[in-house]
Amino acid sequence: MGWKEYFLAAVIVNIFQMTIAFVIFSFQGVLPLNPQGFPGLSWDLAFMQVISFATNTNLQHYNGEGNCVQLPNCSNLTGVPGAPGLSYLSQMMAVQFLQFTSAATGISVAIAMIRGFIAHAKDLGNFYVDFTRSLTRILLPLCFVASLVFVGLGVPQTLTGYERIVSTVEGATQTILVGPVASLVSIMQLGTNGGGYYGANSAYPFQNPNPASDIFQIFLMLLIPTSLCFVFGQLIGKKRESRPILWGAYALFALDLLIAFIPSFPVVGPGMEVRFGGFFSVFWTVVTTTVTTGSVNASLSGVNPLVILSAFNGMLIQATPGGEGVGLMYMVMFIVLTVFIVGLMSGRTPEYLGLKITARDVKLVMIAFLVHPVIVLIPTVLAYSTGAASAIGVGTNSIGFTKILYEFTSAAANNGSDFLGASANTPFFNVSTAIVMFLGRFAPIALLLALGGSMINRKRLITDVGVRTDSFLFSIVIVGSILVLVLLTFFPFLALGPIREFFQGHANGF
Amino acid sequence: MMKIKRKLLQNCGPAIRLAAISLILCGLVFPLVITGFAQLIFPSQANGSLVQFHGKAVGSSLIAQNFSLPIFFHPRNDSASGVDPDITVQDAYSQIPRISAATNISVDTLQQIVNKNEEGTFWIFGTPYVNVLKLNLALIQTGDLAYNGFPASSGL
Repeated sequence: MGWKEYFLAAVIVNIFQMTIAFVIFSFQGVLPLNPQGFPGLSWDLAFMQVISFATNTNLQHYNGEGNCVQLPNCSNLTGVPGAPGLSYLSQMMAVQFLQFTSAATGISVAIAMIRGFIAHAKDLGNFYVDFTRSLTRILLPLCFVASLVFVGLGVPQTLTGYERIVSTVEGATQTILVGPVASLVSIMQLGTNGGGYYGANSAYPFQNPNPASDIFQIFLMLLIPTSLCFVFGQLIGKKRESRPILWGAYALFALDLLIAFIPSFPVVGPGMEVRFGGFFSVFWTVVTTTVTTGSVNASLSGVNPLVILSAFNGMLIQATPGGEGVGLMYMVMFIVLTVFIVGLMSGRTPEYLGLKITARDVKLVMIAFLVHPVIVLIPTVLAYSTGAASAIGVGTNSIGFTKILYEFTSAAANNGSDFLGASANTPFFNVSTAIVMFLGRFAPIALLLALGGSMINRKRLITDVGVRTDSFLFSIVIVGSILVLVLLTFFPFLALGPIREFFQGHANGF
Repeated sequence: MMKIKRKLLQNCGPAIRLAAISLILCGLVFPLVITGFAQLIFPSQANGSLVQFHGKAVGSSLIAQNFSLPIFFHPRNDSASGVDPDITVQDAYSQIPRISAATNISVDTLQQIVNKNEEGTFWIFGTPYVNVLKLNLALIQTGDLAYNGFPASSGL
């Protein structure tokens, strides 16, 4: 397939999958496997949620387990009163289903783009083949093993309803909220999706019972994005070209860790779970944003603003090593941009992998880069100017601004962690984040597939006239150029949010 | 433009088939197979890690339950999930004087119970913690008179 047909196939398959999930969300009230009797989701929430899952974002404006009003003998649920819950069928055939397919789509489009750079490649491959192979040879087998490991560690996996009502030691009644959790947790982490079974995500003990399950989830998040850095070098037949991608990504990851841990070695604070302690709560928050997974194991409001700043870095760069497949695409985008800038500075022909970088290539990557600031900053401003932020009780101070900026950054980066949660279940936030997620996913994919497609049959330069891109030096240059590009774009907004919050002394234990 | 339109129609058939197959495979077969294996290999964990005491389920070791009487260790209520089943060892120590005063158990014995249930030391990164439900069941097992009638019945 050429890039247009490949992209078209990906979009059509995704639209059909979203349609199926939309129907399941909307009619879960009358569909089977609904022991809790949850009603169907409202149209705007269902619309937002299918886009959220299909774009690998997993922003959730609901509480998977529902809330007290809907359950008998319930006294132990947090969350927003009235927040909608999901039936077992929705958790399986809408949420898990789209978590698998969005991860497979991400891997497929990344591989397709790389194919353009392979010498003597004829086309970008076939989406249907790539998608099926990603599912059956990577995601399903790995998730099978991971799911059973999770069950062994204490994550429930059952379909037999919320009938586990027990009499507690002091004589109260308690509903134990179980369900098909383990099968969802495996793909939500491996697929860098991040949408949890429970509203509290991986802070909820059934989703993440102990330090071992916590470390295993961190491992799963990093596994495929990191592996794809090596796949790049393998596929183009020059393993050394993986270096700037891998080294650059992990140098930026290390920088994020440094920022996050500056505030002092964290201790267990409010909003954190005792079994993870301060260290693993903060470490998780950095990892979940560097690979744009978006799952959380602590409440974001409980952590230091510098940890939030570090989380912003991960979501603004999106390539450290970034989400399933797309992280690699963004890194190639940054490399092409950097080669161009370095070429301009040193007076050499911009060239990557022996391919001359043309004006059209630079335009494509520039537009792909600029999509992000546009879809983050405009809706953030709109949320305030239309009064949508104040309608859900979010103020204009630095804490409030951080929350709104985070919501749209997370949506645009297809991350999915957020401060607002089910409180953002309003038509404005549902529709605006849906649009942002859709553009944040498919616009860069289209542009970068076009970049890969245009490399096919391009004449390769025989002599090395350009900058060597497999060197240690270039890895340093790429880190510098990413930081300059992203910081120049977003610094004013970050200064109004987490940076201001930090200096105002809202920091915990600082 | 005509070409794109033709491609669009050409792709609809395979796309619908792929969407349907992936739905059945990922959304139904996969979770059902996992449920089958989970129930077979790890029935206790798969059903919520319920804790049995004298043959009766008194809660889940992974989900906090409310303790408010002075004779028991109390869970924390400011955590991210709201159902954090554990407290730090320091937190447990700080509750020992209250429990000792309300029962006939000595401070020493209580410290031993806490130490025996300590878990989660993860090199230098972990914070030692204890499971509140396990602690309280250990308290009941001391046979102290204050625990007569516990676990209480809710009439279920």
